[in-house]
Amino acid sequence: MSSIKILRVFVLLLGLSIWCLSMTGSGCRGKTLAPPVPAETRQVTDDLGRIVRVPVKITRAISLAPSITETIFAVGAADRLVGVTTYCNYPEQAKSIAKVGDTLTPNLETIVALKPDVVFVSTASQIEAFKGTLEQNGIAVYVTNPNSIEGVLSDLMKIGELFGTVDKTSVLLNDLQSRLDEVSRRLNGEPRPGVFLQISKEPLFTIGKQSFMTAIIEKAGGRSVTADIESSYPKLSKETALALNPDAIILSTSDDNRVANDVFKNSRAMKNSKVFSIDADLLSRPGPRLVDGLEAIARDIHPDKFVQ
Amino acid sequence: MKKVYQARTEKKLRPRSFSRAIQVGIVLIVLLFIVLTASTLLGSERLPLFDLSEQQRSIFYDVRLPRILLAASVGASLAVAGAGLQSLLRNPLAEPYLLGVSNGAALGTMLAFIFFDRFEFSRPVMAFVGAAVASFAVYQMARSRSGMNVERLVLSGVIVTTFLSSILVMMTTLIDAGKLRSFTFWLLGDLSQATRNGFYLSLGAAIVGTVVLTWQARALNLMMIGERDAFDFGVEVNRVRWLVFGVASLVVGASVAASGSVGYVGLIVPHLVRMSAGSDNRLVVPFSAVAGAIFVVSADTVARTAIAPRELPVGAVTALIGAPLFIYLLRRGS
Repeated sequence: MSSIKILRVFVLLLGLSIWCLSMTGSGCRGKTLAPPVPAETRQVTDDLGRIVRVPVKITRAISLAPSITETIFAVGAADRLVGVTTYCNYPEQAKSIAKVGDTLTPNLETIVALKPDVVFVSTASQIEAFKGTLEQNGIAVYVTNPNSIEGVLSDLMKIGELFGTVDKTSVLLNDLQSRLDEVSRRLNGEPRPGVFLQISKEPLFTIGKQSFMTAIIEKAGGRSVTADIESSYPKLSKETALALNPDAIILSTSDDNRVANDVFKNSRAMKNSKVFSIDADLLSRPGPRLVDGLEAIARDIHPDKFVQ
Repeated sequence: MKKVYQARTEKKLRPRSFSRAIQVGIVLIVLLFIVLTASTLLGSERLPLFDLSEQQRSIFYDVRLPRILLAASVGASLAVAGAGLQSLLRNPLAEPYLLGVSNGAALGTMLAFIFFDRFEFSRPVMAFVGAAVASFAVYQMARSRSGMNVERLVLSGVIVTTFLSSILVMMTTLIDAGKLRSFTFWLLGDLSQATRNGFYLSLGAAIVGTVVLTWQARALNLMMIGERDAFDFGVEVNRVRWLVFGVASLVVGASVAASGSVGYVGLIVPHLVRMSAGSDNRLVVPFSAVAGAIFVVSADTVARTAIAPRELPVGAVTALIGAPLFIYLLRRGS
């Protein structure tokens, strides 16, 4: 982006605000609601390829997904996070930040009242609902929704750049990358056991082709037995589940998912006691802790390769 | 006067002809047999007819068969409950869902689900309690000094149903995300959670319901003419009301606990039966049981196989098949 362009926008905004001030106030303020002191802005491209205009210095940000909250904490910009969702439970400090509702039904009034520069959202469907209202109020909407471990790493960098914490982010990325390299080094040439990832016991939900978890299991030295199923989180026929006979079962642990479904009672996984529980938050949130989830899977299904 | 009226009544209720009723009965039995056979042969996994491996036997006996049998007994239960309520209330829209019985059962199951998850039998018991409490509430609301009024009863049913719906929505919003997911699926009707015990319970309820309502069929026939007339003919109107509501709560409670809210069955199956076999409840009740079983087993076979190895919610399939079928028969009949 050229600095002339930024300057032009800056001048334009300045002119607009002067014009605004010169008016008697009432009529103009109601319509444009420009921030009192227009901050310097720049254009960035989000994960959906949308061009978004954000302040060069983001001072107030809102996250509408737990994975985004964790990412913003990880890049060292938590001090600028002024609003999160009720699902945002990690790290511990996230719980004390103002809540703006949950991911699918955030409270727009609360969001606007917090006067953020940018609202980070995780799904395309969210955008349609708030884009209009937020942009009218001069709030940028930025979509970040990585769908692979590579995407998680590159989005960490993008967010780090947005907040101007590139140094800290680079250190973090190097660390994450070396942990991933270490896992693949240890598992090089190992046979891949068939893994069934149970998302919920009743009804039986698992992961399909479009879930990023399929690739995570692959990277953790396994093979998802449901990798061919079109869908990201299919409700699976129990007949098929029984016939799949996985070597290992991973329970994405939540309240209704603490034991393997009964259809697995004669599976190889049950016979060999290869049923493992991993915190659902590590497997379902495309944020930095996905690497922890990947390591946990690798340790569980290849215990002999990770003897300390 | 009384005698003439009775004769007219009997004539009105008599099936179009006796042989017609036998025909319909035979067709239903044959259809049930065909549907049950076909559904045991279909599934997301292909099974050979003979020489099943241990795993294939497990697929057949532990997964497929219990689910088909549960579908059959849930279908029979909901259909007889609908048949009984429609006759009792002389209202073609009367069915367990409209009268608050289904939502009462759903709320009971949800409470069991949240608070007594460890006890397997808490769900059917709470579902029955919920259904019974909802029925009782509807019944009390509909009573006035001048006695029971059918319009008031249907109105109360609708009000209780919507009230319970909003409580269900409130609770799904409040309980945490993990539990919510399985529950919202379950609210749409889900036969994949079939267990042996759930099936025995549902089958027992279906048999009791069909027998009791068939036994009360004469009283129901007279109630269809009008409660005053039924009373004049010696029907203990109050007792029949309690019996029908009690049976509806029992069968709906058992079905909802085992499979969630499978919609449409209680509404359309009894109508389809009346269109083909006449309105005599001595036939409508047992025929509805068989037709309900056929309907739900067919719908669930579609749900299990259409996008295998994924599954559709059975409640969506019953509505998808049921609505056009019903409209077709309604237009053909008139």
